[in-house]
Amino acid sequence: MIATQTITPRLERSYARLGVLLIAPTILVFSLVIVYPLLAAIYLSVFSIYTPTLEGNFVGAANYVKLLTGKAFWNSLGVTLIWTVGTLTLQIVFGVGMALLLHQNIWFRSLARSLVLFPYFLSTVVAVLVWRWLFNDLYGAMNHGLMQLGILDLPLDWLGSMPNAMIGVILVGAWKYFPFVVIAVLARLQTIPEHLYEAAKIDGAGPIARFWDVTLPQLRNVLVVIVLLRAIWDFKEFDLIYLLTGGGPVTSTQTLSLLVYQEAFGLNQMGQAAAYSVGMMLVMLVFMVVYIRKTGKEG
Amino acid sequence: MADVTLTNVRKQFGTFVALENLDIEIKSGEFVALLGPSGCGKSTTLRMLAGLEFPTSGDISIDGRVVNDVAPGKRDIAMVFQSYALYPHMSVAENIAYPLKKRGVSAADRKVAVQKAAELLQLEPLLDRKPKQLSGGQQQRVALGRALVREPKVFLLDEPLSNLDAKLRSYMRAELIELHRRLGKTMIYVTHDQLEAMTMANRIAVMHGGKLQQFDTPDAVYNRPANRFVASFIGTPSMNQLEGQLDGALFHVAGHSIPLDRTRFADDLGTGDYALGVRPEFVAIGDGELPAKIRLVENTGHEQIVTLELTDGTRLLARTDAARRLDVGQNVQIGFHPDAIHLFAPGEEGPRLNKNDAASVIPMRSR
Ligand SMILES: Nc1ncnc2c1ncn2[C@@H]1O[C@H](COP(=O)(O)OP(=O)(O)O)[C@@H](O)[C@H]1O
Ligand SMILES: [Mg+2]
Repeated sequence: MIATQTITPRLERSYARLGVLLIAPTILVFSLVIVYPLLAAIYLSVFSIYTPTLEGNFVGAANYVKLLTGKAFWNSLGVTLIWTVGTLTLQIVFGVGMALLLHQNIWFRSLARSLVLFPYFLSTVVAVLVWRWLFNDLYGAMNHGLMQLGILDLPLDWLGSMPNAMIGVILVGAWKYFPFVVIAVLARLQTIPEHLYEAAKIDGAGPIARFWDVTLPQLRNVLVVIVLLRAIWDFKEFDLIYLLTGGGPVTSTQTLSLLVYQEAFGLNQMGQAAAYSVGMMLVMLVFMVVYIRKTGKEG
Repeated sequence: MADVTLTNVRKQFGTFVALENLDIEIKSGEFVALLGPSGCGKSTTLRMLAGLEFPTSGDISIDGRVVNDVAPGKRDIAMVFQSYALYPHMSVAENIAYPLKKRGVSAADRKVAVQKAAELLQLEPLLDRKPKQLSGGQQQRVALGRALVREPKVFLLDEPLSNLDAKLRSYMRAELIELHRRLGKTMIYVTHDQLEAMTMANRIAVMHGGKLQQFDTPDAVYNRPANRFVASFIGTPSMNQLEGQLDGALFHVAGHSIPLDRTRFADDLGTGDYALGVRPEFVAIGDGELPAKIRLVENTGHEQIVTLELTDGTRLLARTDAARRLDVGQNVQIGFHPDAIHLFAPGEEGPRLNKNDAASVIPMRSR
């Protein structure tokens, strides 16, 4: 008894030291790649800086005043929200639908599962080039197909006019990222006990009632996580939109990420860009808090 | 209340034959146990009655109506699963009310029915909880409540007690017997536990390898087992079965002969290989001609289970009262109560060859 009392704390202390040692590299890397840029951005945002020379002078809150009073930030925030809500909705609808479909048949599942992942694994640059070719107003397959089917009379300028450009971007985003939803939902579907469906059948529930009363409640938690994660990722999406429309026509698909990029490297205003990015980060913080709250509750 | 009939039912999964030649007639209001070792096809039988599986051939009828193509929800049956299968996001009250809701019963009527079921099963204080917040026994009762709330014709129960601990199990066993008595509904109960089957059922269908072995009262399956499988499956410890040769009225085993009362057995038995069956309680130690050695004595407090070894190494069990002094290694003479001897044809499912009326029941005192 006495022996264990003296030994346990010593053991615990050495475990604690080992713990600190093991976690140290993570903290170091985290500081280097997250904390430092974050602090640097906040620091830069109170200067007016010319990007090529990185020289400038202190301007205090001037960049933030412009953010709040100017049109650019609010326009881009609106664009970002439309893009995020639009593409996320389609991702969820197609993702859940496809997962339910794949869940039906085991043989079909293993084959289709790998095919469905294809857009997700495809490099964005390659994917976007293909889509730009499909969307092209002069030689694009999309216009050709739709005209053949008699849906269009004249070729449509898909990416160069509104609202087509936004619709196009949203569609490509949904196509690219819905596999993530499929995989996550499919994994959850496979863990729903078969007995629940059988009990529901005996209780007189038809296929639709079984979906609402058994499947959906079981998917609820995973859907919350998917929606929040995808919302965060879609909100800060850059390459797909940049490559597809470059933010155009004019600024109608210019999301916040693109605005920051444009400000920093198009207009060479690094300080203003830093202020925009801090503003963007504050908006994202809202998502983060909801996410942490939701996932924290489960555990 | 309804009769349930399976007529020449066969069930295949691919090429695997899970059930064949299954003929069972269950009377209205009966409590029937489907009993057999794991994998013998009990659940498959029950699931076909529920409509969750469909027979490859043969007919299933409930209340005189062939239900082969009728959906589970339209068969007027209720089922209790081994895993309970409660809807995790619904409260106890919502779980119990669900089958009524899906049948369009009004909210007010549902409430009354749930209240009634909750009273019967002592679930009233738990109605607002979620299944996760209940113990195994409570979940079990909710599952029962969901089954009986809409007063189906037939209750199907698939090993409903096997996830409970021993004490709760014996309590729930009594509860189920009581419930059956009160409701008077047909109940079909799957179990691999012979104690459950023996204590609860009016009749037991003993199954083995996808085939029905015997369908009779607990008394009959115990005292007049149809074949060697039933004889060995029913009873703990199970019946001793000694393989030997029959020659006239003598049964030769381990170099000795046991005289038999030939009038108790079928008249046309020829000379050859048979198995002699005798339950441990009818093996008398120190009273007989068969020499044996005591190998093990297990005293359970109110009785002793004695492992005996014959001269050829064959082992058998005897059951004696706990007060008796027996030593391991001791040589004894043993004998079998003549009215308790069964004779079986050889083979795992060798049929019993006693004349049918010759019940091997002996009053307790003379054992
Ligand atoms: N869906 C199925 N597919 C293939 N084989 C099955 C299926 N369901 C049951 N079986 C097989 O049928 C046999 C009987 O199963 P079951 O009725 O569940 O036995 P138990 O008597 O233990 O309840 C087992 O060998 C089992 O492996
Ligand atoms: Mg089973």
